[in-house]
Amino acid sequence: MSVRERFGRSNPSLDMKLDEGTSMTTRSRQIRVVSYLLLGLVAVFYIWPLFMLVNTSMKTLPEYLKDPSGLAESITFENFVEAWQLANFPQYLWNSVLYTSVATAIFVASTLFVAFPIARGYFRGSNALLTLYVVALFLPPALIPQFQLILNLGLYNSRIGFISLFLINPIGMIIMVNYIKSIPKELDESAAVDGSGYLRFVFSIVFPLIRPAVATVTVLHAIGIWNELVLPTIYLSSSEKFPITRGLIVFEGVYGSNWPGIASAVLMLMLPMLVLFLLLQREIISGLTAGSIKG
Amino acid sequence: MAVMKKSYLFGGEKRWRNLAPIYFLLPGVLFYFIIALGPSIATSIYSLTDASGLRGADVNWIGFDNYDEFLFQGLASRDNIDATLRTLRFCAIVTLVQFSIGLILALLVNQKLRGRTFFRTLFFMPVILGVVIQGLMWKLFLQPRGGPMATIFGWFGAQSEFLGGQPDEAFMWVIVVQIWANVGITMVIFLAGMQTISSDLYEAAKIDGASGWQLFRDVTWPQLTPAVNTNFLLNIIGSLQAWQLFLVLTGYKAGTQVLGYLVFAEGFGQTGEAPSFRQGFAAAASMVLFFLVLVIGFFANRFVTWRERKFL
Repeated sequence: MSVRERFGRSNPSLDMKLDEGTSMTTRSRQIRVVSYLLLGLVAVFYIWPLFMLVNTSMKTLPEYLKDPSGLAESITFENFVEAWQLANFPQYLWNSVLYTSVATAIFVASTLFVAFPIARGYFRGSNALLTLYVVALFLPPALIPQFQLILNLGLYNSRIGFISLFLINPIGMIIMVNYIKSIPKELDESAAVDGSGYLRFVFSIVFPLIRPAVATVTVLHAIGIWNELVLPTIYLSSSEKFPITRGLIVFEGVYGSNWPGIASAVLMLMLPMLVLFLLLQREIISGLTAGSIKG
Repeated sequence: MAVMKKSYLFGGEKRWRNLAPIYFLLPGVLFYFIIALGPSIATSIYSLTDASGLRGADVNWIGFDNYDEFLFQGLASRDNIDATLRTLRFCAIVTLVQFSIGLILALLVNQKLRGRTFFRTLFFMPVILGVVIQGLMWKLFLQPRGGPMATIFGWFGAQSEFLGGQPDEAFMWVIVVQIWANVGITMVIFLAGMQTISSDLYEAAKIDGASGWQLFRDVTWPQLTPAVNTNFLLNIIGSLQAWQLFLVLTGYKAGTQVLGYLVFAEGFGQTGEAPSFRQGFAAAASMVLFFLVLVIGFFANRFVTWRERKFL
């Protein structure tokens, strides 16, 4: 049933509408006020925890214990300095940067070379291979056999073993395939006529053209690694190899009630993500929405 | 159009031309088979063994013993079955609330309001922060002695131990954080759907004298069907598998465990008293979770297809 049909039956007369003219604006103002009230109410529970974090990080421990929710009496950054030193932060941070950048780079490069021929159908069974990637989204989690594999390869508690867990992302693959399909195939042909090699063609012609998709996939994948907590808990046992998420949980375990210290550590982990988010909001949102299909 | 045959692509000798894409494809595909697809399939095999997490330890075939222990050992299976039921409860509450709040927020920020970009960004923000930050932030916010939420409770003369309280209470607060952390995705998917609805439809309905509620019921809701269905499925499947906030917020606390956490705790010695790596058992538990997702996902999908036929 079309919209018109549906409302056709109760179509009010025109003059009735004119009468409503003034009350409509009052009504839309009411809607506006109610909207702001609701949004404000929800926003409180997003801003307050954030503010609480900043506020707590400025307090001394006795000050926090006396009144956890109260405003900090003065602005100091001592907790940050202390947490930075106590928590072995530089090491954790470096590990996180290393794992995230290396794994993401390998993932993006290797996936590009899988996605391109699949999107083009350049080999027999390319559709079947794509289906295999989609099917994986519905298979049981790989957690246990993956651990057995890494363990028996002797890669437990090794950086290489840990990084190798992050070289795959079916969603990212599917995003890339779909994007490459939108690039005209004639390009390949003219490149071939010019005598361009495959490697050069993919890197210098395909890659720049699909940059938006690459940006989305990169950001999606990097955020996933940066935030990962379970895999470092499972696969890494020595603290000098911990990424920052795991380090933070260890820090919380040791300094359990020292919330000013924990809060400043959390803020330090959070800041790079927040900056990245504000800079790359569009890529991040499109990546994570597509990525959320994984559930 | 395509005058050129595939075999003429990518200069050089003919045979090399055809194979170049295959050679470069191999590393990616091999990673995929070894790290993801293979282990994923092997989960079902491991669930029939007594595998432990010790290197070089014997792995014996024990048939369906793990499943038997998980489900049919009466009192001894009680905790596992409770965890399964709790997972369903978690899923039902999270899906219902996250779906509704996400829809309401999307409707609100889809209006031409000053500051709507700010609100969108704010509500989406937790999604990128990850479970550690989400969890620690709320642990601080939910401090039972003088924390902000305790203060709010105090205004109404109420009191709570929050995450440290009774299992049901702690469980409820994890649900709150779970929804708080993920409602942004639901909102964004709804928003994307709303922005594809043609404004002509609204204009037509308004000319016909439709009120705000009628506009929603007869235009927005049916037109939003793809986004509604996506969110419905995502919320169900996502919340069935979610457990990591429990790890940060409550730990493996009796009376709060969900299946995903049970798999991790049993498999990697995190159960607390006398922990051991019971990976065969954990694999069986993750197969149970997988079947749960499969069955519920199947019916949810049937429902969604039925809705699509009704509305589109």
